[in-house]
Amino acid sequence: MAQVNIIHMFEQAAHEVSGKKLTGLTKDTVIAKLGLDSVAIMELVAHFEEKLNVRLPDEDLAKVQTIADLAQVVKNRAPKGTEVTW
Amino acid sequence: MPNIYRFSNLIHALDESKGLTESGYTFLDRDQQETFMSWDTLRQEAMRRAAHFRKYGLNKGDRLAMVVPDGEDFVPTFLAAVWAGLVPVPMYPPLSLGKLDSYLDTFVAICSRAEPLYLVTPGKLQQVLWSGAAKVKSLKGIITTEELKEPAPAGASQDPAQVTDDDLCFLQFTSGSTSTPKGVEVTHGSLRANAWAIMRDGLQSEEGRDRGVSWLPLYHDMGLIGFVISPLMHRIPVTFIPTMSFVRGANIWLETISRHKGTITFAPNFAYALAVKRAKPERMKEWDLSQMRVFGCGAEPINAQVMRTFVDTFKSCGLKPEALLPCYGMAEATLAISFIGLDQTLSTDVIDSDRYQTDHAAEAVHVDSKKKLEFVCCGKTFPDHEVGVFDEKGTRLKDRQVGELWVKGPSVCRGYYKDPQTTERTFGGGWLRTGDLGYLVDGNVYVSGRKKDLIIVNGRNYDPQRIEWIVDDLPEVRKGSSVAFSRPGASSEELVVVVETRTQNPDALKERVSQAVTEQMQLTVADVVLCEVGSLPKTSSGKLQRAKTRQQYLDGTVGKEGTRTLGGNAEKVTLAKHVALSLLGRGKKRAQRLVEHSLSIRSMGDAVSKLKLASEYMQSRMKRARR
Repeated sequence: MAQVNIIHMFEQAAHEVSGKKLTGLTKDTVIAKLGLDSVAIMELVAHFEEKLNVRLPDEDLAKVQTIADLAQVVKNRAPKGTEVTW
Repeated sequence: MPNIYRFSNLIHALDESKGLTESGYTFLDRDQQETFMSWDTLRQEAMRRAAHFRKYGLNKGDRLAMVVPDGEDFVPTFLAAVWAGLVPVPMYPPLSLGKLDSYLDTFVAICSRAEPLYLVTPGKLQQVLWSGAAKVKSLKGIITTEELKEPAPAGASQDPAQVTDDDLCFLQFTSGSTSTPKGVEVTHGSLRANAWAIMRDGLQSEEGRDRGVSWLPLYHDMGLIGFVISPLMHRIPVTFIPTMSFVRGANIWLETISRHKGTITFAPNFAYALAVKRAKPERMKEWDLSQMRVFGCGAEPINAQVMRTFVDTFKSCGLKPEALLPCYGMAEATLAISFIGLDQTLSTDVIDSDRYQTDHAAEAVHVDSKKKLEFVCCGKTFPDHEVGVFDEKGTRLKDRQVGELWVKGPSVCRGYYKDPQTTERTFGGGWLRTGDLGYLVDGNVYVSGRKKDLIIVNGRNYDPQRIEWIVDDLPEVRKGSSVAFSRPGASSEELVVVVETRTQNPDALKERVSQAVTEQMQLTVADVVLCEVGSLPKTSSGKLQRAKTRQQYLDGTVGKEGTRTLGGNAEKVTLAKHVALSLLGRGKKRAQRLVEHSLSIRSMGDAVSKLKLASEYMQSRMKRARR
């Protein structure tokens, strides 16, 4: 069964698209507070999609505020049996 | 109507599309699946959807709010609204992982001004927008794009509306978050004039030869007028890439141009930087850009270095240097104001920065001059149009004198919707006052800055006041003691915030400023400067002066003006410069930037802090260069 750690993947993606080293993220971290601009955020979403081979719909992403929300969207779209943790 | 025009307006062009099934628009979806709609299909779609609108009781002149992210839904829906004589109000969709609350605030602000009767949106977004829509008094309901795909309702007319040149075609609201949204009134007449200026005078487009490729958002003037309306009125086929696909993976832009044999594309400066940043040699090998005639660049200040790097990076794909087409334009002039000639390559004007700042003069200096500014030539305006430079008193200035750019001609829009005062200020007296600063040289337009303190990042406009309000709300910051403005950056403008404060903990306050702005505006703060209370320039009425603060920031004198003199500091500065150069200045260009930066901070505190600043600056530059 595949395992996905959202926080780990998020930190990796943020570093790749914006060069930012994020630390101390929790499931309740509000993504909008992380200092990433809107283009970086979209690139970050692309990173998730590529790594997980899923499509995250814009209308679901629009409502995402925290890491936990993002995990839920990923969970809904990931192949059956994928374990999504943070 | 002069008889040079092929169609009297957009409705006429659609009406004449019957039987034209070979050419039209191709929409890619996120999986790169293509949907083709011929000119004739677009006409039929417009008729069918117009019947739906009429069934809802919508009549000529009624506003219709549109939040439709997918191009293949957006284009026929927009055309249908125009066909029925309605006034569509295109708005941007909610952003991913964004702050939905602040998005909905802007949505409500725009709707409160435009007073639409209905909102069109896909079913999937209905739920997201509902709480915003409920706050708009004029809205009677939501029409889903799915409904519009149903067969035309019986009994509703599918005939084209009768319109004149003075009738509104649509309302163009500014793309970013501004405190009081202004809706530019685009008439059928101004639209036809600008579409002609772009497609014929500027691009000399030819049916059968040209193809547009665009990822630009369709709710924005450059995407909507440049790639939906103007090409339709001149029968130029276009391939549309979803904006989100481009932002998620910039390679799709040039890849699609290569695959679809595109000849014309436009994008803001930041997109050219992003294309270079994301280009991968193994993918570039497959690309052929030799047929490209026009890589248009506008909508935000153009950085010459970004353009040169773009040409260098993609010349191996057959990109011709003359394909690059810097241009100048704004929504108030429908879209385009000036283009450089098709056979011209990128050219810049290098002027003396001291003369510019002190005498408002653009005096040409040698490229190697230490005190220089470089501006990209945006070409000449179109036939029947005029660009002039004026001073504060409204006196017309000569070549190489810097003032506000004013524009005249058939492309200039009528005004701002239901806002007579702002309309008079901007459009009064027969000229459009652009709010941009610049100068002319033999009719060539050079844009050097902005009179109105708008901040443009990644093609979106931000009102500095809104940023200042956010900062003023923070603890340890008093009301009216912060200033937000932009500084030139590598790929786009960058946001700077200067705050007067007595805080004992400057680092924590800087962090709070950055966080608050990012959180509420989705905007990265490139620099936060704290200075002593009372040290920033104020107007006679005690308000902080943005333009002057910005100039002091760029000069490195912010917060220090009048409180300190150079004197004995100068030696330390020289020392700092030398040390910094030997430590960090590896490449010539980087060294030059460092020197410029050291110069710019000449009057700050002691030499150590200068060094620290210079080194931080270098590190950020190097980080940027590595990416």
